[in-house]
Amino acid sequence: MYKGVFKCLCVCLLLWGHAWAQDRTISGTVKSKEDGSALPGVSVLIKGTSRGVNSNSDGTYQISVPSGNVQLVFSFVGFEKQEVSVGNRSTINLEMNPDASQLNEIVVTGYGGALNKREITGSISKVKGQQIENMPVQSFDRAIQGRAAGVQVQAANGIPGGAVQVRIRGIGSISGGNDPLYVVDGVQINSRGTSTITSSNPLNFLNPNDIESIEILKDAAAASIYGSQAANGVVIVTTKKGKAGKTQFDLNYFTGVVEPLQKLNVLNTQQWIQMRSEAFFNQGVVSNPAYTRQQALTAALTGVRLAGDLSESQIAALPTYDWQNEAFKNGIIQNAELSASGGTDKTTFYWSGGYLQQSANVINIDFLRGTTSLGVTHKLSNKVTFDSKISLSTQKGRGQFGGPLGGSFLGAAAFSTPLIIPSVPIRKDDGSYFGTAAEGGIPGVLNQNVIMVSELNKIQGIQNQAVGTMSLNWKIAEGLTFRPSASIDYRTIKGDNYTDPRTPDAFNVAGRLGFQYNQNVNFLTNAVLNYNKTFQEKHGVSALAGYEYRSDVNEGYFGTVEGFPSPDFKYASSGTNYITTGGGWNGFRRESVFGQLKYDFKNKYFFSATARYDGSSRFGANNRFGLFPAVSGGWLITEDFLKNSKVVNQLKLRASYGVTGNDQIGFFPALGLAGGGFNYNNVSGVAPTQMSNPNLKWERNITGEIGLEYSLFNNRVTGQVNYFDRQSRDLLLNRPLPITSGFSSIVDNVGQLQNRGYEFEITTINVKKGKFKWETNFNFTYINNRVTKLVDGILPQQNRDSLILLSAPVFTGLGNNTGDITLGRNFIVGKPVYALYTVRYAGVNPATGRPMFYDENDNLVYNFRSPGDLKYVGSEFAPIYGGFTNTFSYGGLEVSAFFQYEIGRMAFNNQGSFLSENGNRLFNTLTDVYERRWQNPGDITDVPRPYNGGAELRGAGNMSGTRTLENASYLRLKQVNVSYDLPQSILRPVKFIRRAQIYMQALNLLTWTAWTGYDPEFVGLGSGNNGVIPQSRNYTFGVRVGF
Amino acid sequence: MKKYISTTKISIALSALLTLGACEQNLEVKPRLAVDLASAYNSPEALNAALNGVYDVLQGSDIYGRDLLAVPEALADNGRATNKSGRLLPESQNQPGSHLANWGSSYVAINRANLILRALPTSTAPQATKDAIEGQCLFLRGLVYFDLMKVYAYFPRAVVASQNIGGVPLLLDGVDDLTKVTFPARATIDECYAQIAKDLDGAIAKLTNNNTTYRAPFFASKGAAQALAARVALYTGRWADALRLANDAIASGVGRFQTNAQYLAAWRAASHPESMFELSYQTNENIGVNVSLQTSFTTLRDPGNRAVTAGFGDLVPTATLLTDLGITRTGDVVTRGADVRALLYELGTTGRGPAEVECTKFIGRSATVNLDNVPVIRISEMYLIRAEANYELGNAAAALTDLNAIRTRAGLTAATATELSGAALLNEIMRQRRIEFAFEGHRFFDLKRRGLDITKSPRNIAFTDFLLLARIPTGEISLNPSLKQNFGY
Repeated sequence: MYKGVFKCLCVCLLLWGHAWAQDRTISGTVKSKEDGSALPGVSVLIKGTSRGVNSNSDGTYQISVPSGNVQLVFSFVGFEKQEVSVGNRSTINLEMNPDASQLNEIVVTGYGGALNKREITGSISKVKGQQIENMPVQSFDRAIQGRAAGVQVQAANGIPGGAVQVRIRGIGSISGGNDPLYVVDGVQINSRGTSTITSSNPLNFLNPNDIESIEILKDAAAASIYGSQAANGVVIVTTKKGKAGKTQFDLNYFTGVVEPLQKLNVLNTQQWIQMRSEAFFNQGVVSNPAYTRQQALTAALTGVRLAGDLSESQIAALPTYDWQNEAFKNGIIQNAELSASGGTDKTTFYWSGGYLQQSANVINIDFLRGTTSLGVTHKLSNKVTFDSKISLSTQKGRGQFGGPLGGSFLGAAAFSTPLIIPSVPIRKDDGSYFGTAAEGGIPGVLNQNVIMVSELNKIQGIQNQAVGTMSLNWKIAEGLTFRPSASIDYRTIKGDNYTDPRTPDAFNVAGRLGFQYNQNVNFLTNAVLNYNKTFQEKHGVSALAGYEYRSDVNEGYFGTVEGFPSPDFKYASSGTNYITTGGGWNGFRRESVFGQLKYDFKNKYFFSATARYDGSSRFGANNRFGLFPAVSGGWLITEDFLKNSKVVNQLKLRASYGVTGNDQIGFFPALGLAGGGFNYNNVSGVAPTQMSNPNLKWERNITGEIGLEYSLFNNRVTGQVNYFDRQSRDLLLNRPLPITSGFSSIVDNVGQLQNRGYEFEITTINVKKGKFKWETNFNFTYINNRVTKLVDGILPQQNRDSLILLSAPVFTGLGNNTGDITLGRNFIVGKPVYALYTVRYAGVNPATGRPMFYDENDNLVYNFRSPGDLKYVGSEFAPIYGGFTNTFSYGGLEVSAFFQYEIGRMAFNNQGSFLSENGNRLFNTLTDVYERRWQNPGDITDVPRPYNGGAELRGAGNMSGTRTLENASYLRLKQVNVSYDLPQSILRPVKFIRRAQIYMQALNLLTWTAWTGYDPEFVGLGSGNNGVIPQSRNYTFGVRVGF
Repeated sequence: MKKYISTTKISIALSALLTLGACEQNLEVKPRLAVDLASAYNSPEALNAALNGVYDVLQGSDIYGRDLLAVPEALADNGRATNKSGRLLPESQNQPGSHLANWGSSYVAINRANLILRALPTSTAPQATKDAIEGQCLFLRGLVYFDLMKVYAYFPRAVVASQNIGGVPLLLDGVDDLTKVTFPARATIDECYAQIAKDLDGAIAKLTNNNTTYRAPFFASKGAAQALAARVALYTGRWADALRLANDAIASGVGRFQTNAQYLAAWRAASHPESMFELSYQTNENIGVNVSLQTSFTTLRDPGNRAVTAGFGDLVPTATLLTDLGITRTGDVVTRGADVRALLYELGTTGRGPAEVECTKFIGRSATVNLDNVPVIRISEMYLIRAEANYELGNAAAALTDLNAIRTRAGLTAATATELSGAALLNEIMRQRRIEFAFEGHRFFDLKRRGLDITKSPRNIAFTDFLLLARIPTGEISLNPSLKQNFGY
């Protein structure tokens, strides 16, 4: 049946290819007008025909043309199309103009597709490789922060090479994943981080400097070709390719320093003693028996191993030790890379190798990476091209105590050093650590010398990655190509967490080693048939059909061993006690067919339809396959109206509507399972872990969008405005069950969310005079995120103002050896996701110094116990974010300043809560909080009186409720870049140097925020900002030489 | 010719595309760390593994891992929080909402037991194995329901009628799919205790004392079931039953009553010789430095070694308990009387703050820090149950005999009938319970079952205070319209 259809198709194709009379040959060279370099691969076409040639590697071409007046059409990516009348000439040399209009930019769309920007009907943001060049970051996701509207990037922490969260157009899932799909040179990367020892990012394998461009597919029309993986958007990365010609080498090196953003101002020893004795005295007044002032002072002193009878002058003479100063250090950053690009008409290659070394701003945390990649393109024949690329990378990072999520944060230096009692020395006179485990540790709740812990423990992760892909591009006939490809994305992680036997945590067990080995094998193969043709010079048709199969398997081993003979022994064989061992397996398979049809009329009306049919092992037996369709259209208004306008150069209106799916919902959510590991008395046990739900299916996102792309004032003002409406349906929720059933929940497709918003992008060339140019780029995103539906059947008893609240486990995008890692978050119908829901702090009673709260009815109370007292007080969702760049260039000199901002995110300052306790326990406190504390009746303040234990009798804890809720909005001068290209006049005498550049960069230079912790940019993956290493400020200096 | 080739090429390309087409088998991926729930109980081995899954719940820190031992001491007058980590401080100050929270885990354990009980009749296992598993499930279900009742409901003989909302929901059928999920209301107190008694009677009937697969005291035995039934009878004021069951339990041979000379060593052994039922903890089940019993009660790593700090020592004996134990402290010098039990209390380290006299009953007895087996029922309790039951039944002499067994074993003099009679005798029985089972989670319930106020610093808690009952998790109330919250919350 197919045969007949395609015979017809072929006949049609061949009709176009009928022979022409050949009477003369035209030849010439095509060069770039900008720098005079030869342009290989320029399409030279006889107008009105499909006959044409491409220019060779040296820019030369030769074409036979019929007699008569013939027009040649020269076109090339990134250059303006030119039509030339041949006349009588036999030689035509041409200089092509670079394309000024952004609307004519080439945009990569997935599955080998590339479109002129004017043809695009979906929503795609593009970040060019040079925009992020030489940023001292370890992965490209960090580099695109603030560069594209609708794309929010948050570093989880300041660990170099650590985890990053990318959210495209808001949060579209509650318990499922919110990470976009990353496609690097056609390889769908597994981006689920599985390092349990150090914070790591699977995208680290790629040196950002190897990137040619990053395309972000945002709406259903653009992304739905990726079906059930597309709901959170798709990020397509294209790396640099080789160019035919003499081999060109580029050497690039930068180095610099890493320094902390800030340290916190905490109490000195004398202030601390004063605060702590007030805390005892205040508690003593109501306890039995009461403390005198002297008894309170004695209690404060003896609690930290000081003599209880110190006199006033002795106390005044006590030293203060600055622990933060020991933990936060300036680090170094070094990056060296070399690339080579070259080849012949038949074979081109691009090779690059790089080495990066970067320390964090906290002691003993760093990142090392070596990368190498080789891409080769070889023409087997005129019709068949072979493409292959392999990238290898090894990364070694040292992490912090407490693990990648910041769970056991008490031993983490960044968390603990401001909290340690200031009278405690760090080292003894002989330089050895004070307060070793053998000596009973240091006084205070934080009983370990965290500097010792940081320096002695070995917490290290090694991630090795290989990403390889090969494809054939078979040009079956004019306009028809077949492209089969296969790829492997392979990753191993080896992690060691060696707790030194000299540190308190392992002193009693003679050392402890936790280790992990994890590997991920992600195999992908697909085959795509692509057809492109223009009929009668006005009907442009393109069609795409494809098949794809992906299998992804994650396996690992892990264990804990204790009892090492000495700190010199750090490997498992040396330990005596095998505490735990484990092994894990997870995997999924997906099989899909997809197709796309595009039509344009006279290159001014565009229409596109896409559909993908996906089957996945993750879903219930009754819903194994799903269909994800999308349609979109575009209208180039300026082709019909305003044709001769001096103001408007180009205007394009586009609209799209479609469905995408989200399959990041765990591995086996639909099955009823009994799991192992429920052991007793050394005998293995099993127990039910989840109920089955055979109807489970993917989450659906239904996205509609209207966008306007504009180019004004002689292309000096360009940009776009979009309105989108992303409705997320069938969201997987752990629908709560009464625990009396033995199960707390069942997974079901019940939740709904909406993300509606605006995106605004504008680039203006403010000044362009001679060699001087000033360009401004601004982007802004506003998203109205709302939970529109949670589970049915929850009664409003818990929240009497009828807020429907659900505490749901949220997938962090990270996994461990046996499953996904989730984190509990609140959701309230009608409010943004990640609702903060607590009792409202009402300040201090001026008469007593006791903390007060508002109850349900806004009455002032000391204590709260009705669930109705809890209110919605904000959300961790940032509705507004974006970036702002100014670039000034004068000849070879370029200066740019890039600001990035996020507005409206509220968060608890968890570390700040510890730092505001004001003597509740043996922690230090922020000076600012201490100075504002209540001291005498009549004092009006928001800081309650110090109180040992932190809760007054029959009163709630004095750190309860909204007291540490803060606004985490910020504006950051993210990057300042100064670069200077040495002019050719200097370079020419040195024959072998093609180009030379020197540059300087500063990262995270300035931050404006109301947040009182180290850094408002963090993702609370474990316990808020507890134990999170803050971002650092970097200064780098570099040179780049091409030869 | 050219046309033919093109057609062939296209056909090959297309058929390659289409024959790869979706086959559903490709998408069958089974988990490898879990099995299908529907068939999880089919084989005898699987039933055995499922039984371990019930014991496993009890090990959690919200049940016997810490809370059921530590929190009742903090809520009552035995434990004083030191604020060294901040843990157990709200409980020791009786802050509203700070109480035991064993609701969720308990019902998980109950459902696991119910699922096994449902699968047993059709199992192909030998009858003896089936009886042993059934008996253990009944014992465990009875134990867990009793623990729920202790925390969330009043005892039948000490009810504040105006605040009584009843017992707890009784679920006796296993739930393994959505259709079996119910929204139960709370049963009455009497219904709950009738069910507990029935489960324990069933356990006594099915269990033996010499099973070699399920060895006492780590697995439930007939003696353990009799002992638990005796405790339930005592708490509910069924004195005659308590007497009978305590006699049976003592006669069962499970658990060995220790002498004065053996007493201290018994608390240093990995498994306590007196245990009639004891939860075993293996090295990979270590609860850790934050909430293990060792870290909760002491800063010491080893007895007598003040140079090394291990835990937080969050809960230490109150002044009145120290007085009852005969312990006085002057500076760093601790002096004790004749009572051997005072040797289980010693001065901790200054590693986490000022040194305190701390309880060392849980001190890493399994040769690893923070790893202790948890004795749930010790045979000493049977003597004090018998004493109290006999007292209530009017047999003062028999009561005194058992009381003196405890007193003389501790190194105290035997009391005479003239010294102790009437209320004084009962008070001494209660005082001996306080000393003997301090830091084992009895005190709060001993006061509560007798309707007594808690006398403590910083303030006393009247028996009528709503705080005596724990709050049912609010999420459960929101989910289940039939479930009524306790008074005051």
